[in-house]
Amino acid sequence: MIAGGLPSTATTRFFPGAFLLSNQQNIGTYGTLAEPGPLSAPEKIVLGLGILLAAALFLWRFRPILRNILRSKKDPGFKLSPLGPRIWDFFWEVLCQGKVIRQRPLPGLAHAFVFWGFLAFALVTLNHVATGFGIGFLSPYSLIGRFYFYFAAIWAVLVAVSITGLFIRRFFVRPVWLGRKVSYESGVIALLIFLLMVTYLGAFFVASGSTEVRLLWWAHILTLLAFLPLIPHTKHLHLVLSPVTVFLKNDGYSKIPPLTGDEDFGLVTGKDVTQLISLQTYSCVECGRCTEHCPAANTGKLLNPKEIVLGIRTYLNEFGPASEVPLLTESRIASPDNPPERYLSMEAAFECTTCGSCEFQCPVGIQHLPVIVGLRRGVTNTGVWEDTYGTKLFLALEKNGNALGLSSTERDKFLQRQAFPIFDGTQEYCLWLGCMGGYDPKGREIIADFARVMQYLGTSFGVLKKEKCTGDPARRLGNDLVFQTLAESGLKNFETAKVKKIVAICPHCVRTIATDWREFGIAPEIEHHSEFMARYKDRLPKQQGEKIVYHDPCYLGRYQDVYEEPRAVVEQAGTLVEAPRSRERSFCCGAGGGLAFLGEEKGERVSHVRARELAGTGAQVVGTACPFCNTMFRDALTAVSEAPPQLLDIAQLTARALPASQPSQGPHHSPVTGGAQ
Amino acid sequence: MKIVVAIKQVPERDAPIHIAADGRWIEEGDLNYTINEPDAYALEEALQLKEKQGDAEVVVVSAGPERVQSTLREALAKGADRAIHIECDDLSTRDTLGVAQVLAETIKAESPDLILTGLQSDDLGLGQTGVVLAELLGIPHATIILQVEFSGAGLKVKRELEDGWFQHVEMPLPALLTIQSGGNKLRYATLMGIKKAKTKELKTVLAAEASAAATISMERVYLPEKQKKTEMLTGSPQEIAAKIVEKLKFEVRVI
Repeated sequence: MIAGGLPSTATTRFFPGAFLLSNQQNIGTYGTLAEPGPLSAPEKIVLGLGILLAAALFLWRFRPILRNILRSKKDPGFKLSPLGPRIWDFFWEVLCQGKVIRQRPLPGLAHAFVFWGFLAFALVTLNHVATGFGIGFLSPYSLIGRFYFYFAAIWAVLVAVSITGLFIRRFFVRPVWLGRKVSYESGVIALLIFLLMVTYLGAFFVASGSTEVRLLWWAHILTLLAFLPLIPHTKHLHLVLSPVTVFLKNDGYSKIPPLTGDEDFGLVTGKDVTQLISLQTYSCVECGRCTEHCPAANTGKLLNPKEIVLGIRTYLNEFGPASEVPLLTESRIASPDNPPERYLSMEAAFECTTCGSCEFQCPVGIQHLPVIVGLRRGVTNTGVWEDTYGTKLFLALEKNGNALGLSSTERDKFLQRQAFPIFDGTQEYCLWLGCMGGYDPKGREIIADFARVMQYLGTSFGVLKKEKCTGDPARRLGNDLVFQTLAESGLKNFETAKVKKIVAICPHCVRTIATDWREFGIAPEIEHHSEFMARYKDRLPKQQGEKIVYHDPCYLGRYQDVYEEPRAVVEQAGTLVEAPRSRERSFCCGAGGGLAFLGEEKGERVSHVRARELAGTGAQVVGTACPFCNTMFRDALTAVSEAPPQLLDIAQLTARALPASQPSQGPHHSPVTGGAQ
Repeated sequence: MKIVVAIKQVPERDAPIHIAADGRWIEEGDLNYTINEPDAYALEEALQLKEKQGDAEVVVVSAGPERVQSTLREALAKGADRAIHIECDDLSTRDTLGVAQVLAETIKAESPDLILTGLQSDDLGLGQTGVVLAELLGIPHATIILQVEFSGAGLKVKRELEDGWFQHVEMPLPALLTIQSGGNKLRYATLMGIKKAKTKELKTVLAAEASAAATISMERVYLPEKQKKTEMLTGSPQEIAAKIVEKLKFEVRVI
């Protein structure tokens, strides 16, 4: 099978255990990967020792991390099944680098090339080491080998170009989100990767067995051995951990785990940090996407979601998972290798609007919200958090059953004024008012208009005689006692009234009832009014002209994946204009996470930033789908704009075009004739 | 240092009140009950004194039917150490002396250093129980208290007077104080508090045949009758103004 002659310099090589029998030809000429030839015994010993040393250094650094993760508290209720979504996430987020590319296309693609290049290189690297011991299995002279080395060479070029680009980005462009402190180690890593590629590619241009190839071969392997111990250090650990993290992350978005036992109050000390949280914090690659999209971090507040994650990592490194040192302190845990910033401060934890951008953006599967809400639980459930507004809110929820702290008779009076039918089991829908719909003047307008839309469509509905808050603000602020009490009484209320289907104008209510209440029982089917109206969009009056900019509420978009329905309603009411940050990148209004009820914000108001963006589109109307967004923008639009656009909920946008006279209100009225039948 | 807080359970503020069929009391069945607000402030004051003092025990006492236990549990959850429920179903037929006698008997056995209670109740608003209780126990008292601090072997308290005036009083211990609402910030009940409360003692004692104090006999209870009277003042502007001034001075008594 030997086609070409054997040049005298070439040594006939023997491949024990080789999978691919060599088809040696043109040895000593260029055009394929040159091989170093057999190593001398001392060289082999050096190689062997080098590998052992690198592996030892790797383990020396990796073991304590692994120990911290494994010794953390087991995640209560963690289930591996169903595997389908896990496999999909792994495929999309890890293998396809879907999130990495989608949310930051250019650097994302560069990263993907490096990642895919690494995968392509796995075989090359294995063969490289094997060759050193004379057991190489992939010959550059076999058809498959030749093909594969060329294939890898293409990747090597892509990786080299990409890593250079990323190096320039990190050290010269310097996006703020990567952190103010330049990580020199990243530079070293980039250099090593670049060297790996160059030493590989170089071997295509030298002769097999030459001194040059020998040098390149050694340079390549030494670079690799230098790279290995660097991996378990800081963010480069994501190479090893993040695929696992993505695969193992908890199902569900912003999932708040149930408390277990009598001693569980949330994240109080290191003992409460679970294995998944621990794994996630060690996987953080410090890319800063969470911070880039964080409404608090962008408006001059202390909170920085990345620092929360790194704060827990620092805590675990310093105190370990068995520590009883509180996680949240007024002043940060000081340590020599951390700048004097307050990573895990109570102030920062309570600046989160729970908009969930961080969790959505994270490319390595970190779930920030369970951590931030967990930290809040830890201090609220134990009474450590003392906040005048927070206490007032909790007392209002305890006493009045609504977040606004008004007497429940206020709601009764509103029901009477509107002549809303009381739900008696015969109507199709139970119309849920929520705190805003029942007590807030603007929320009441929205409810009244939505009721008109339902009547126009001929859908029968009734409202509950008594209604209490879903507990959303209590849940997000970490008060499990109030949340549980409200959830249980709410479930009982639905059961007594024999409710089957609920429709609500507030995405917070929908999310809390549908998802958070599940801990205590199954609530009836609930949908947001955008979903309801979108279903009948062809029967809604078509309006012309006006430009309407739609703002995606966090709790509708990211939390419930409802993007199209409200848009369909808006399109029926005018011309839809997209906001600068829309859909899953929507920027929060500042109200979520119970913050609507807390005191004045530090720095710039989140609502003003968003209102400026919305007003800047030049649309005549700002369309919202959440009464909290609405209440935040009401003041903000006036504050940021001389001639503010009109502010209307999608229900109001629809109702304004309905014929003025409505049929008499009642549970069993007949559908409107003429209208949109 | 032992601090006893006497608490009353009252119907929730915005509860719809209905008169019972016999017209002598309210319908209790469909009411939700809660802690009397001034008593909540009394409890808060006691808890804060305990936090400042360190080695103090806060004992909450409430008389009433079984339902008052929920309010006592809440007090335990907020931080009280021990609770005593004085079982007694006929509170509504006792006047303030009768109620104070029921309380005095149990509280005397505790021999506390300080007794705190709200200055009045949200439901009846008689404002006497605390004062009578002090008299029965033979200890000094001060009313409408906004601030309390220990000073030497006694107390320094701040009383609210009229027209924005305050009175600072020093008094010996043991003593009884009736606490005004709003002097402190109330705390919220926490999950940890509720769990801890489960392990705390809640003792039930029977109200002894309360002394032959004169009980009251209720003739009739009724909801305030709403009435709106409009009187048109006529005359020249000067006359109307003079009439308004007269009414504001002598009828409404605001100027």
